[in-house]
Amino acid sequence: MAVLTDRAAFEAFTAAARAKWDELWAGDHWVISVGISECSIAKGALETYKHLELVLSEGHIPAVLRRVGCAGWCFAEPFIEIKPPGSPPIVYGWVTTDRVPELLDSLRRGEWRPEWVLGVRAPEAWQGIPPLQAHPFLRAQRRILFEHAGVIDPESIEEYIAVGGYRAFLRALFEMTPDEVVAEVKASNLRGRGGAGFPAGIKWESGRRTPAWPKYVVVNSHEGEPNVFKDRRLLETNPHLVLEGLLIGCYALETPYGYNYIGGEHALALRRFQRAVEQAYELGLLGDDILGSGFSCHVRVRTGGGAYICGEGSALMYAIMGQRGQPRTKPPRSVEEGLWRRPTVLNNTETFASVPAIIRNGGSWYASLGTKESTGTKLITMQGPVRYLGVAEVELGISMRSLIFDVFGGMRPGYRFKGVQTGGVSAGPLREDELDVPVDFDSLTPLGGMLGSGGFVVFDESVCAVDFARYLVGFSRYESCGKCTPCRLGTPALVEILDRIRYGYGRPEDLDIIRYASKHIIELSLCGLGQVAPMPLLGMLERFQEEFLEHVTERRCRAGVCPIEAGIAAR
Amino acid sequence: MELKVPRRTTVDLEPLRRILEERYRPRDHQEAQELIVSACQEAQRLYGWVPPEAAEAIAEHLGVTINRVYGLLTFYADFRTRPPQRHFLWLCYGAACYVAGAGRLVELLREEYGMDEHGDTSDGTLSVHVFNGCLGVCDLAPAAQLDHRAYLGGLNVEGMRALIERLRSGAEENNGGAH
Ligand SMILES: Cc1cc2nc3c(=O)[nH]c(=O)nc-3n(C[C@H](O)[C@H](O)[C@H](O)COP(=O)(O)O)c2cc1C
Ligand code: SF4
Ligand code: FES
Repeated sequence: MAVLTDRAAFEAFTAAARAKWDELWAGDHWVISVGISECSIAKGALETYKHLELVLSEGHIPAVLRRVGCAGWCFAEPFIEIKPPGSPPIVYGWVTTDRVPELLDSLRRGEWRPEWVLGVRAPEAWQGIPPLQAHPFLRAQRRILFEHAGVIDPESIEEYIAVGGYRAFLRALFEMTPDEVVAEVKASNLRGRGGAGFPAGIKWESGRRTPAWPKYVVVNSHEGEPNVFKDRRLLETNPHLVLEGLLIGCYALETPYGYNYIGGEHALALRRFQRAVEQAYELGLLGDDILGSGFSCHVRVRTGGGAYICGEGSALMYAIMGQRGQPRTKPPRSVEEGLWRRPTVLNNTETFASVPAIIRNGGSWYASLGTKESTGTKLITMQGPVRYLGVAEVELGISMRSLIFDVFGGMRPGYRFKGVQTGGVSAGPLREDELDVPVDFDSLTPLGGMLGSGGFVVFDESVCAVDFARYLVGFSRYESCGKCTPCRLGTPALVEILDRIRYGYGRPEDLDIIRYASKHIIELSLCGLGQVAPMPLLGMLERFQEEFLEHVTERRCRAGVCPIEAGIAAR
Repeated sequence: MELKVPRRTTVDLEPLRRILEERYRPRDHQEAQELIVSACQEAQRLYGWVPPEAAEAIAEHLGVTINRVYGLLTFYADFRTRPPQRHFLWLCYGAACYVAGAGRLVELLREEYGMDEHGDTSDGTLSVHVFNGCLGVCDLAPAAQLDHRAYLGGLNVEGMRALIERLRSGAEENNGGAH
């Protein structure tokens, strides 16, 4: 690829990429695309790909075989999309390698195997196959970040550009001032997708106002929570979208220094983002004097290795600097003193990925999605025994009930809904009778819940509320960085009390001690980890109090999970 | 966390040195510090752990003290400062896997197979990293990854026992490389 040196060269490149893209879908050949992402690899997608390669090499089917990213339907992996000449692309799920010959044979005979079909990627039904949009998992979704997920090759900047990529960046670069970019993001009322929901535009504005130099813009792709996997899917399936958002952020802050900090466990996400950065350099969308605009930008990718606390803003910055990732007291805030003690704007992966559409379509368009206070779409992952496990993108404001029972398909056969844990390790659960609450940044809070990063955990009656609380607080205990006393000593104390209860040695007073100790940990801890660590426990205790009482008075664990016999035997 | 400095080993530092020479060329001291963690990850990928010689080579190459390197190696849960046993199991302990019963697997490993705080089973077969996060393959919960390659899904106590028996009998090669 030759470096593009001005806007006209980019337009010419785009036109060529588009022509090539259109040709791909128009010709007399088959187009077969295999979704390759961590979740599909785990289910054998690479074997499926190799098998297809082998069969196609025999030459009976003139076909283009491609790799695409994850489309969010983890439950149907490995998936492949097949477009025979003259038909729309048909998406098949559950195509493990053993099914490849049978599927191809059927298709050549013109049998469409509806039992394996998710839908056709077209607005209308075709040959009796419904459109994807009619699938229960997709019906209530609104896909903006995931618009091209599973459609384009994540390792091809050309395909990203063919579907309109980097158009927003060019618009910002050539038609808008940095202030106008910030104004647009402010008008969109985009709130941070990493957990706290702070308005991104306001953060960018304060970053702009701080006079110190240089400045840094950092993407938080750490994603170390135990309940969410959306950022890595986004990076795996459309890394250029995140990079474009970061570029726009750097332009808004008028700085040439961008970073992405990616959790070391997310190997494929890391590799694909790195690849995207390399391609952007090769094409001249990163580097000095981008497209002759005078604006320069350089992006560095950094990673950590298994410490949840490194997702916290100030800890993340120490981690990038090669220090142990431990938070510090605030003020100063990061926008005043962050990375290398310079003004730093840090946003979540998904926050950055939301920016290109805002610049393309305008802040007010974005603000019309979702609710008034929680605008736009949100990636949601639902874990637990639900039918359609995966990543969904919905407009904020959808009800929790609809999210669980429509989008994610409700409980799998044989499982009964007991509750849904919200906010990961940072908030409490909701019960069945509370599910009509809208899923947005503010509505869950009065119920002790939280949107957080959008990872929810449905649990059934085989899960004990005490044991689950122990798991969630145990996570925070293990991940406590140990810098401040209330969290370092308080979280183990809570775990100890919970273990006492689990092992049948609990007393009714223990429940009061839990409330009392929690209050201290919440009020006195230095950073967000400690300040919310007791929340899941308090939530479980409030929602499932009778279960806690059963443990301490009757020495009974109704789920049969806790090793409660120990305490009974000791009596 | 306790740090046992292991005895000297005889690791071939050449491949690590080559990677450092080729890809780790910081422009200044600031960038050198930013590269410590990923250089350690390279070492772990090569050797399955970060041997002391490798840590020294990294410190020397990047112009930082060995204390800086060990400060990070002991901070992050993913780094091993002891060699792994014959097989390596990445066992997910994320919320989906917990809900599906991963806790019983951890208990089993501790109680029946003597898994210690380093994740090593007492018979020398297996090193387990109980991963306090989500492996991102929740549809397979409880999930694990063996020898950095094959994913295992829907693990229960019997399945885990059977797996360990197979590994013990040597029926399963570790062909996943060091990392
Ligand atoms: C213990 C802890 C862990 C966190 N982990 C993450 C994370 O993995 N990813 C993330 O984007 N934000 C995480 N956050 C929130 C960040 O501190 C910060 O608020 C966020 O990255 C800002 O981006 P946003 O405004 O776009 O959400 C974490 C916060 C705490 C206290
Ligand atoms: S609250 Fe916990 S994680 Fe946060 S600084 Fe204190 S000890 Fe570290
Ligand atoms: S929680 Fe285990 S794979 Fe997600």
